[in-house]
Amino acid sequence: MNVALHVWSTYVRLTERWPVIATLVPFLPILALWEILAWAGVFPPAFFPSPGDVVKSFVTLTYKGILPDYLQDSLVRLALGAAIGIVLGIPFGLLIATNKIAHRVFWPILLFFQAIGDIAWLPILLIWFGFGLGTMTFVIVYTVLFPIVLNTVLGVETIPRDLPRAARSLGSSSLSVLWHVILPGALPNILTGLRNGLGYGWRALIAVEIIVGTSGIGFLMFDARRAGSTTEIILGMIILGTLWYIVDAWILAPLEKATGERWGIVTS
Amino acid sequence: MTLSIQNLEKTYFNPYADAHVTVIRDLSLTVERGEFVSVVGPSGCGKTTMLNMIAGFIPRSGGDILLNGKSVSGPGADRGVVFQSFALFPWKTVLDNVGFGLRMKGVPKSERDRIAREYLTLVGLAEAANRYPNELSGGMQQRVGVIRALANEPDVLLMDEPFASVDAQTRMTLQEELTRIWQERRPTVIFITHDVPEAVFLATRVVVLSKGRVLDDIAVDLPQPRVWDRLVHDDRFKTISARVLQQVRLA
Repeated sequence: MNVALHVWSTYVRLTERWPVIATLVPFLPILALWEILAWAGVFPPAFFPSPGDVVKSFVTLTYKGILPDYLQDSLVRLALGAAIGIVLGIPFGLLIATNKIAHRVFWPILLFFQAIGDIAWLPILLIWFGFGLGTMTFVIVYTVLFPIVLNTVLGVETIPRDLPRAARSLGSSSLSVLWHVILPGALPNILTGLRNGLGYGWRALIAVEIIVGTSGIGFLMFDARRAGSTTEIILGMIILGTLWYIVDAWILAPLEKATGERWGIVTS
Repeated sequence: MTLSIQNLEKTYFNPYADAHVTVIRDLSLTVERGEFVSVVGPSGCGKTTMLNMIAGFIPRSGGDILLNGKSVSGPGADRGVVFQSFALFPWKTVLDNVGFGLRMKGVPKSERDRIAREYLTLVGLAEAANRYPNELSGGMQQRVGVIRALANEPDVLLMDEPFASVDAQTRMTLQEELTRIWQERRPTVIFITHDVPEAVFLATRVVVLSKGRVLDDIAVDLPQPRVWDRLVHDDRFKTISARVLQQVRLA
């Protein structure tokens, strides 16, 4: 009992100092199980590579420059799609949230198109844009757009009525109210939308790369299937998870938290 | 400066009752420059509705509201508002909150910061200039709310139960501070409250509303400055309070 407590408190202190330990430790049992299964030879090695094989493949692909190139391709595609999604989504969300007529006109359309999943667009997009960046960008923009628009609308709706009123009675024009009250008031929710949107966008990107692909992590995995390399497939999967964890836990979540916390706004 | 409310009327459509409800009917009231008018009345007497119409937040159904002879339509910087919810901008520092109205007027940054600091000093919050509203106590937040409206130098200051959501001790301090500021700067104030002693303590005139009409209009000729320690024993304060209370309970 005493020993367990001592170990636990040491662990807590360690994670306080190096938070990355708290991230890595939960994966140790999974890794151990994987190693044991591979070592015991429960499945043929061609179907079930060991962690060591995957690390070796990671080193080789990085050394050849394939992995960095593909990673860059995927991230650039996601960034481009996300940027367009943000530029379109925030103003569109603000319009729907602040204008009753726009709300009536666009809300049903929005829900209709939200229901057509990103991948469901692929057949027609491939005919329209072919196997290229156009198709991939469209799908990512499409995926990122809805969470941003819907969360922007939600964010505007959570702003207390007295805030725009206060701004108006201090002499604000409608445009200043938008800039000084509505936009910052909705920002924590907009960031939540962005976070969700990027999560969906990342998944959609991999799916598109598998189908459209000429490069990228999704392509790497599908190409490996053709060559029958389970090692590279699993490597791709691990990269997907790791990369998203870094983006979400180290960039998006702190950003979302920081805006809300400094201002004392709690996001749902 | 004169604020003249003429035969004001407000009717809502209540979809649940499927009927029109009249909250303000034929209300007339004139407020002159430098007056401090408290408006009291029971819940549902229409005091906040009246204030919202003066502020221009909601449209009126009939009658007119004239500020310096001009009919009011929509909110404007000539009518400053202090809210029960404080309504400070959470993403702006205290200094930027107080300077917000001046910024809207196009006053340059250095000048509006100077004015904002002056007002912060007036309420003892000079130290809090760079903090965010949620880092302040309720009483401090409402001090900021009051000077944010004052710094904009409105023709009339509309206060909607501004001290209803702070604790009793803080409320008394805020009331004393408000009378002190009013004495120094003489803004024209319309102060909505349901607290009779508060109404009498602050005002030069108390208006009692009932069912959307003016029931009584009582002058408060108590000497300034007003301090609770002295006024609680003052016979005139007691007499006026008793009369207002009687009217409110009749209402």
